[in-house]
Amino acid sequence: MTEERKKILEMLSEGKITADEADRLLSAISKDGGTGSRTTRMEPKYLRIMVEPGPESKNPDKVNIRVPLKLIRAGLKLAALIPKNAQTQVNDALHEKGIEMDFSQIKPEDLEDIVKQLDDLTVDVEGKESVRIFCE
Amino acid sequence: MIPMILKLRARGKSGKRFTLWLPLFLIWIIVLPLLVIPVPFIMLAALIMWPSGRGYLIFQAYLTIFRVIGCLSGFEMDTESRNSTFFIVLK
Repeated sequence: MTEERKKILEMLSEGKITADEADRLLSAISKDGGTGSRTTRMEPKYLRIMVEPGPESKNPDKVNIRVPLKLIRAGLKLAALIPKNAQTQVNDALHEKGIEMDFSQIKPEDLEDIVKQLDDLTVDVEGKESVRIFCE
Repeated sequence: MIPMILKLRARGKSGKRFTLWLPLFLIWIIVLPLLVIPVPFIMLAALIMWPSGRGYLIFQAYLTIFRVIGCLSGFEMDTESRNSTFFIVLK
């Protein structure tokens, strides 16, 4: 039994997920197995942010930014070092902008997890402007 | 790896375009000693402030500066508007 299957079954036995959800997750895993997800995946090195004008947009501005994931990791480490009172100010400023994020909750041990999760991140927003965020 | 070359390309409203290749390794030769010289003083300050808990922060913050510089390589930004373009890459 693979580690992923074991985890799903554990979650089911603990009542964290329903039988239907477990079934869906198990079938998703088996599909991935069939398409060769076990082959070694290239680890992404950069986070790409692209903003392009949509078909209805009057604004022709384009933005294309490539940020090394290492830099994000280092930046998060720097953010974790911000003194508590400054973190409160940052949190308040973010709250005013409608972003609910607490920097004081970022622990050094969580940083690796955050960056690892970024690897799988893909955001596509189609509106007046098309925004794409992905790792490459 | 620290970035060695900065490439900058810009075009303004007048349509004039300029490209700049800046050999950062020449700048690092000057800047890195300036960053290394204060190391003993920072270590001393960190040791003095260690009991209050701020010593660790000072030490880590200083290390993180080097870490951030070392991770800048590969950063790229390209913006284009109606009248101007701006491109910067660190290699």
